[in-house]
Amino acid sequence: MGAPGADGAVPAGAGPDVLLGEGGPGATLDLYGRPSWARRTASLAGWGACMLATGLIGVPLIWVIYGVAGRAVPHWHWSVITETTTSTGGGGLANEIAGTLVLMAGVVVLAGSVGVLSGVYLAEYAKGSLGSLLRSGSEVLAGIPSIVLGYVGYIALVIGLHWQFSLAAALITLSLLTVPYIAKSTEVAMRQVPTAYREGADALGLPELTTLRRVTLEAALPGVTTGLLVAIAISLGETAPLLYTAGFTDNMPGLSLTHAPVGYLTYAVWTFYNQPSTAFQNLSYDAALVLVVLVLLLIIASRLIVALTQKHTESN
Amino acid sequence: MTSVRAPATAAPRRADVPAIVEAGIRGVSMQVQDLALGFGSATVLSGLDLEVRRGEITALIGPTGSGKTTFLRSLNRMNDKVAKHWHRGDVLLNGASIYAPGAQLMALRRRVGMVFQRPNPFPMSIAANILAGVKAHRIAGKEHYRDIVEARLREVGLWDAVSNRLNSSPFSLSGGQQQLLCLARALAIGPEVLLLDEPTSSLDPVTTENIEAMARSLVPALTVVIVTHNLGQARRISDRTVFFYQGKMVECAETAQLFEDPREPETARYVTGRMG
Ligand SMILES: Nc1ncnc2c1ncn2[C@@H]1O[C@H](COP(=O)(O)OP(=O)(O)O)[C@@H](O)[C@H]1O
Ligand SMILES: [Mg+2]
Repeated sequence: MGAPGADGAVPAGAGPDVLLGEGGPGATLDLYGRPSWARRTASLAGWGACMLATGLIGVPLIWVIYGVAGRAVPHWHWSVITETTTSTGGGGLANEIAGTLVLMAGVVVLAGSVGVLSGVYLAEYAKGSLGSLLRSGSEVLAGIPSIVLGYVGYIALVIGLHWQFSLAAALITLSLLTVPYIAKSTEVAMRQVPTAYREGADALGLPELTTLRRVTLEAALPGVTTGLLVAIAISLGETAPLLYTAGFTDNMPGLSLTHAPVGYLTYAVWTFYNQPSTAFQNLSYDAALVLVVLVLLLIIASRLIVALTQKHTESN
Repeated sequence: MTSVRAPATAAPRRADVPAIVEAGIRGVSMQVQDLALGFGSATVLSGLDLEVRRGEITALIGPTGSGKTTFLRSLNRMNDKVAKHWHRGDVLLNGASIYAPGAQLMALRRRVGMVFQRPNPFPMSIAANILAGVKAHRIAGKEHYRDIVEARLREVGLWDAVSNRLNSSPFSLSGGQQQLLCLARALAIGPEVLLLDEPTSSLDPVTTENIEAMARSLVPALTVVIVTHNLGQARRISDRTVFFYQGKMVECAETAQLFEDPREPETARYVTGRMG
């Protein structure tokens, strides 16, 4: 017998087994029996791989949180967040926390606006060779090691412009580091906005900026937020570029943008741990705990923002 | 206000229209002059001449790929943004070229509205969808927004269904309701011409009938151009019908005549179901 004619023309006079395939009736049309052994094994293996991958992410996460909290919580004092660091390791981390928060807010404003605008430009307007040039440029920037960017910031801003270790130098450097991420995720999110939205807006004669603000950016917001989240997480977690640009201080951040160093949490995690006094070492664990809590708060906040602003999306 | 639930068959057919209207006092709303249009090296439309009469429903029929959508989109310049788009010839709205160098796209689209094949409400609340164009074109002050939303939703027969969830997502509505919302959104900016691209192709028969009745109730205040692959729909609601085939206008005639006594053999083959 020839090949089964399941999708081609059935030869005239062909018996029913031709329609049903090699196995004859029952083999291919058995809708109710148990799936084959091979199918079940494959399915099980797929599930196993997914569980394993989830575990590979989940287990270290829990381990980190447990490890940090286990070391910090036993000697936790609320003075850690209300007092500034003293030279003996007494006091707390108020200046580092404030510094990190200021840096974070600065990155959101500076890198956020530059990054989102670049992403919009890349998605909506940058066509042809200019577009690919800008895109490559952004990718190169994203690929530069952060310590190199830090050094560049040091040479150009701290030395070159005669600033000192300062908030502005740190902010500009961190922004250079994070803009590519924000731009990329904004661009990708903008490109995924259904054409039907744009066409609907065009057909109504909406001005381009209105379409952007009320329709396309709005629809792209989850992606944009993800990019911002990554950017903030980077600025929370970076140490190397800040060593070159922010310096360090025991004082709270002041009003001087260019001439006063800033304290930040990763510095405390990194340096205090190597100090001989246990007071400093304890502060180092506290700083790590505060960082982890900040990251968690950040993720929750971003989820809330997306949930609140995306009440009207198609996926809901 | 016209009842939306009125059966579509009650709408006046061409044959029932008084003789004085027959005499053609209505005039021309849009005039297409020797239009050719394409993308890159492909020519999609060529040699099109057509008068869209004011206050009438003009139906565009033809097999898939014959250029109906592309033609419809040339009437409000929606092809402009498509890559490598080009055109020759002209389209006039009330005697003025819409492709003239100084022509304002926003103003054109305020006057020539469009509803698409698939409902495409914006990702904002139901009320905000209706108001999107109203706000952008500054058609009314804030104090009128509520009234506008209600009036437009009533006009399309959607008010009773959504009056208690104006701030909800439009995507919680059925496909037909979403399409009615898009129609209300288009009507809210007060266009004089309304372009409909197979507006009922994804809808159930009841909603289809509603939309047909709606379309009928819009004329003669508005001029309607509707693309449809549903020949019955063209017969039921349109005054004139244009038959497209392979990017050309084969025949344009009063609907009854085009269906019952077509001039061209291709038209005859299509309307009798022997083509495509
Ligand atoms: N952007 C485009 N680029 C190239 N060809 C296109 C484009 N849009 C439409 N066409 C072609 O134009 C022809 C007419 O398409 P369309 O107007 O959508 O037909 P209809 O609406 O009658 O089904 C089709 O052959 C289609 O392939
Ligand atoms: Mg079409």
